[in-house]
Amino acid sequence: MIHYSRFVLKNGLTVIHHLDENSQLAVLNLLYKVGSKEEDPNKTGFAHLFEHLMFGGTPNITEFDEPLQEAGGDSNAFTSNDITNYYLSLPLSNIETGFWLESDRMRGLAFSQKSLDVQKGVVIEEFKERYLNQPYGDIWLRILPLAYKEHPYSWPTIGKEISHIEEANMDQVKSFFKNFYAPNNCILVVAGNISLERVKELCSIYFEDIPAQEIKRINYPQESVQTEARFQEIQSDVPSNLILKAWHMGDRLSQNYYAMDLLSDILGSGKGSRLYDELVKKQAIFSEIDAYISGDAEPGLFLIEGKLLPETSFHQAENAIKGVLDEFFRTGCTDRELTMVQNKTETNIRFGDVNLLNRAMKLAFAEYLGDIELTNKEINLYLDITKEILLSEAKRTLVDTNCSTIHYKSSSND
Amino acid sequence: MTRISKPSLSNEGYNLQFKPFEKTLTKQGVPFYFQSAGTQDVIKLELVFSGGIINQPAPGVASFTCSMLSEGTKSKSGTELVNALDYYGAYFQAKASEYDSVITLYCLSKHLMAVLPLLNEAIEDSIFPEKALNTLKRNAIERLKVNEQKSSFLCRREFNSKFFGNDHPLGISSSIEDINKIDIAQIIEYHQTYFLKGLKYILLSGRFEDSLKDKVVEFINFSNKVSSNIIYPELTTQKGKFIVTKEKAVQSTIKLGHKGISRTHAYFPTFQLMNTILGGYFGSRLMKNIREDKGLTYGIYSSHETNSHYSLWYIESDLNKKNIEIARKEIFSEIAKIQTELVEADELSTAKNYLLGSILKSLDNNLSLSGRMKLILDNELNYDYLNEFKERILKATAEEIREIANQYLHINDLIEITVE
Repeated sequence: MIHYSRFVLKNGLTVIHHLDENSQLAVLNLLYKVGSKEEDPNKTGFAHLFEHLMFGGTPNITEFDEPLQEAGGDSNAFTSNDITNYYLSLPLSNIETGFWLESDRMRGLAFSQKSLDVQKGVVIEEFKERYLNQPYGDIWLRILPLAYKEHPYSWPTIGKEISHIEEANMDQVKSFFKNFYAPNNCILVVAGNISLERVKELCSIYFEDIPAQEIKRINYPQESVQTEARFQEIQSDVPSNLILKAWHMGDRLSQNYYAMDLLSDILGSGKGSRLYDELVKKQAIFSEIDAYISGDAEPGLFLIEGKLLPETSFHQAENAIKGVLDEFFRTGCTDRELTMVQNKTETNIRFGDVNLLNRAMKLAFAEYLGDIELTNKEINLYLDITKEILLSEAKRTLVDTNCSTIHYKSSSND
Repeated sequence: MTRISKPSLSNEGYNLQFKPFEKTLTKQGVPFYFQSAGTQDVIKLELVFSGGIINQPAPGVASFTCSMLSEGTKSKSGTELVNALDYYGAYFQAKASEYDSVITLYCLSKHLMAVLPLLNEAIEDSIFPEKALNTLKRNAIERLKVNEQKSSFLCRREFNSKFFGNDHPLGISSSIEDINKIDIAQIIEYHQTYFLKGLKYILLSGRFEDSLKDKVVEFINFSNKVSSNIIYPELTTQKGKFIVTKEKAVQSTIKLGHKGISRTHAYFPTFQLMNTILGGYFGSRLMKNIREDKGLTYGIYSSHETNSHYSLWYIESDLNKKNIEIARKEIFSEIAKIQTELVEADELSTAKNYLLGSILKSLDNNLSLSGRMKLILDNELNYDYLNEFKERILKATAEEIREIANQYLHINDLIEITVE
């Protein structure tokens, strides 16, 4: 059970307090409700580039990290399709430094041209390092636009292409900040051995007078239902062939989400899963195979990804995956299998909750989804899934016309 | 406005008091360390075995033995075994390190006694089927082929062979041929020697009743017959500059380093502080210069790896091939700078507080505390070492930093690897 209290400042900042009397640390987690889905399709990768700029200093504080490190703390951030999340932790006795730093950068940035130029360079290096110059690194850049034809989930957070990052300019930076980085677009979680009264007091000193802004949400299109199977072949200098299949699934609060999350464990997570047992061990068709979900707030993807052994053809591999899915459609899962994945989920949730920062992030994300109580009741949503629900959701989701497939072909296998 | 002024800081308010685990012995006389704390009823049980990569008869045997533990027992197939654990939401990982191997079990406290016999079965009754070994070998070869396309992998492989030596067990990285050559007999023998008769100590963390701990102590029946007087092979380091060629590579990696100093060395805390300033954190000189000022890389770090048998200090970065020369030049100029110029007071105090804060963070929950406990046991440190460490850090002066950099960083001793 994770206890919390929640209050909202006059400027619209939502504050969540989580007390942990045993910790010597304090955590501040700020979730800004903006992700790559609110980018202009011709200027992608910007939310993530902007995340880098949030560390580049303000009119009052030349550099974000330095005073934090001086206070014994550290920080980081991540950008997803849906949100940009900043977090810091530091010794409890220096918690005020955290408030000072986070409120200062919510108030305004230095907007330095040098910081923009350098961070463009850093992000371009990240783009190359992770997405271009790794074997299979560009697969995410390929599957998303195949699966999404309208919705902005069609590009990854790093952006569609390097030129979008190269072209980012200061006007864009300023208007993005003005539009999205406001107290009324943010959820602040304060966690540690600190009283609610003290949190309220610090919030009133540091955050209360930051003015609310009008947030102009971007009206992006929703994805129409996919009606025919999509396919793309890529040829590249990789050591082995790879298959990636993606099906559209439900949003983060739908029953379909919880069912498909459990199904991904039954089918393809670890050595005990069906795909591994059947296709890696018994049939020796793949060297590795996994099933997983993208985990987005809006309707996301259910994916199966496998590396083919050298003697396996794509045709064989497709049939083998189909065989495992068909078998599942025929009989569904057993009681034992369902209990297994539900218990695994409970274990993962409990281990995640050991860490103070994880608890803070979880509270912020549940609040973002619109129901902070999800933090504690989510496990029940997994336990509520029955064999029947699982089977019907699987049958509804894993149909060919809802599927996008990539065959990533090794040029050395020709 | 008052809110804009910087809050005053306290670095005295938090102490790095490490709360040691309690100790008891199993009936086989194996030390059992435990601590119950926190708010979640979870269990992390670590069985530390005496054999590591250093003890393996041929490349890959230690890690293959670990993987084979979940491939079947006298009464269960591999899948049945894993599913039996899955049923309780439990899983274990077996990992071979340089000087030991650790099997870690994760589960909810309420399931521990149901799960423990299964873990025991995996270790004691493993049958190592030939077919499973062939599957694992085949898959490992596929993974190796992917890794061989990554410059960071090629760079580390070459660095290790130069630092430890071509013939040293830690300097050899398995080739496809090595993997193909591994046979069941080697695995069975390694398992007999280092798992069945090599349980060195046990760590239990998470939150649990004392009575549960007693049941675990009672249950674990492995002994330790491995001699603690093994003489390990010497390092045969080959210093100098080496280039690994990778055709059509855009991405490159640079790694340079040499031996560091041991954890028990009197100057160890000061060396850690010096390394922090140079490249040990986001605010370090290397990071500021090469990432934040020049935008040449996504990340550059210097690290100091120490264990009971060797220590290694190195700088590593992934970057674009065209940036290698300029980054290299800047790395050398940063090393020279820390050896000749005094660190400014602000920079020194920031690094001190950051370093102490990061240790505090690692002590915040007892699952990560067990890592600290392992460090103490493996390096034979006393329980008070963190306070001594803190005192040394707080007292360190700019002159000492310069002195340590001069005494222990040697450009002429560097092994330098680039992938081009």
